Amino acid sequence: MNRHLTSRAITSFLASFGATNDDRHLRECAACQAELASFQSSLALFRDSIRHWSEFEEHRNAMVSTTENHLDCFIVSASLDEPWYRDFAANLREAVSPASLPPLEVTSRPIPVREIWGLYGRQKKSWLLSLAFQTLVVAVLFATASNPTVRQAARPAFDFYVPLAMTAPKPKTQGGGGGGGRSVLPPSKGRLPKPALKQFTPPAAVTNNLNPKLTVDPSIVAPPDMALPQIALNNDGDSLAKLGTFSNGPGSGGGVGSGKDGGVGPGFGPGAGPGSGGGFNDALYRLGAGVSAPVLLYKVEPDYSEEARKARHQGTVVLNAVIDATGHVANPQVVRSLGLGLDEKALEAVTKWRFKPASKDGKPVAVTAEILVTFHLL
Amino acid sequence: MQRILVTDRAPGAAETCADLLRDFDSLVRLYRPRIFRFMMASLRDRESAENLTQDCFVRAYQARHQFRGAASLTTWLMQIAANLIRDHENSRRLKFWRRHLGAVPDFAGLSDWIPDGQSSPEAAAAAREQVEAVWSAVRRLSERQRTVFLLRFVEEMDLQEIAAVTGMKEGTVKSHLFRALQAVRAKLEDRK
Repeated sequence: MNRHLTSRAITSFLASFGATNDDRHLRECAACQAELASFQSSLALFRDSIRHWSEFEEHRNAMVSTTENHLDCFIVSASLDEPWYRDFAANLREAVSPASLPPLEVTSRPIPVREIWGLYGRQKKSWLLSLAFQTLVVAVLFATASNPTVRQAARPAFDFYVPLAMTAPKPKTQGGGGGGGRSVLPPSKGRLPKPALKQFTPPAAVTNNLNPKLTVDPSIVAPPDMALPQIALNNDGDSLAKLGTFSNGPGSGGGVGSGKDGGVGPGFGPGAGPGSGGGFNDALYRLGAGVSAPVLLYKVEPDYSEEARKARHQGTVVLNAVIDATGHVANPQVVRSLGLGLDEKALEAVTKWRFKPASKDGKPVAVTAEILVTFHLL
Repeated sequence: MQRILVTDRAPGAAETCADLLRDFDSLVRLYRPRIFRFMMASLRDRESAENLTQDCFVRAYQARHQFRGAASLTTWLMQIAANLIRDHENSRRLKFWRRHLGAVPDFAGLSDWIPDGQSSPEAAAAAREQVEAVWSAVRRLSERQRTVFLLRFVEEMDLQEIAAVTGMKEGTVKSHLFRALQAVRAKLEDRK
């Protein structure tokens, strides 16, 4: 038998109090004997430790029973024999309101000890050196930071984008113009000249050149189909001014009013009204004539009203609305009504629409537009 | 040590047992260390061990007339002790907050109690490791396996005595002992 015993066999040998078939092998094989002996010595160590420990613990509080007090040992101490609920309650009480401890008696007294700052204490030289060094560092930093070359190089360069929502609202007056003849009198009331896309002669309330070589009708720059206020007067003038002596107004550059550059009114440019750049007053551009159409970006389908659904009413609501320079729909008005609550639904939906605004000369402008909202049942 | 050797007095002589039962003082003095040791090894808690040791002798005292001398006094007392431990383990689950009350005993400190006699620091360290391994393995044993293991290797009882104390058949004792030993041995091998 040259095979050694397995770990299991050795355990089994110990567990069965040595009565196994492996006795003979154990008696002969030195390796297995050593293995067994090592295991047994571990167990013996354990046994001795336990015995040692328990003996110590037993004598620790002099609990060994002497003839005088051994019967007392049978009496379970009150703290151990308490029922669990008292125990629990005591714990709870202690957690909520712990018993106050007796005041602390200070028995120690402070004594002087050595300086704790290093082996050499505080040294004047080190302090001065440190001060000098730090001053130098600060000075170098200041010198470099105030150098114009460095400042140029270190200037932060970044693109600054103004968010769309933060752009200042445009003045409502879009079109307009102004002019005048440097008169001391205010401009006089009169009809507006006819609108044209190009101005050849500015309007004038007082005609200075009585014998022109070539007569051209005065005009203001505005969309030709724009509805201008009709004034029942025969002379040209500012439609918003007061009646009075004919005058071109205190403006300059021809035209009528207090503005500049051949229009009518207090504005700037060849149009009429307080704005600038042509057009009339705060009148809006219409589509065409150099104004691109707004493009629908976001659309909300209008709901069908309950009554219209029941009546199976279909058709188209025509709305007139201003699409302002930010692409919002403002002031929609019903041009052709369908009734049965569909107009309201159309208005409600259209105010939520968003457009890419119309543009003139690359700049967004407000335009009036007709919006058709079609209702049909499937 | 002397005290422990006295408890290993040969059991069985009926008149000795009867004398001892009549003189309960000396019986307690004689057997208390052994019972206490068994309790300590099983419970690892000095307070509970003392408590249960006292309980054990109270029960023995109350039942001293029922002792017929069929088994040795050691076996009889150990049987009471084993029953008490089992009851204690069962009820301990209900008293989970108890362990916060007293000072928590340091279970791992057993290796401090290795008797001197190691020749070198290396041997002492090895012995310390072995004891810790055995101890941690014993702590993880089930209650029955631990009882059997402790009775066999700490109290050094033989098979019949263990069977009498635990009330199990000899084969059952053997298999429990085998499992316990396997666990201890596995732990020891791990340490290596």
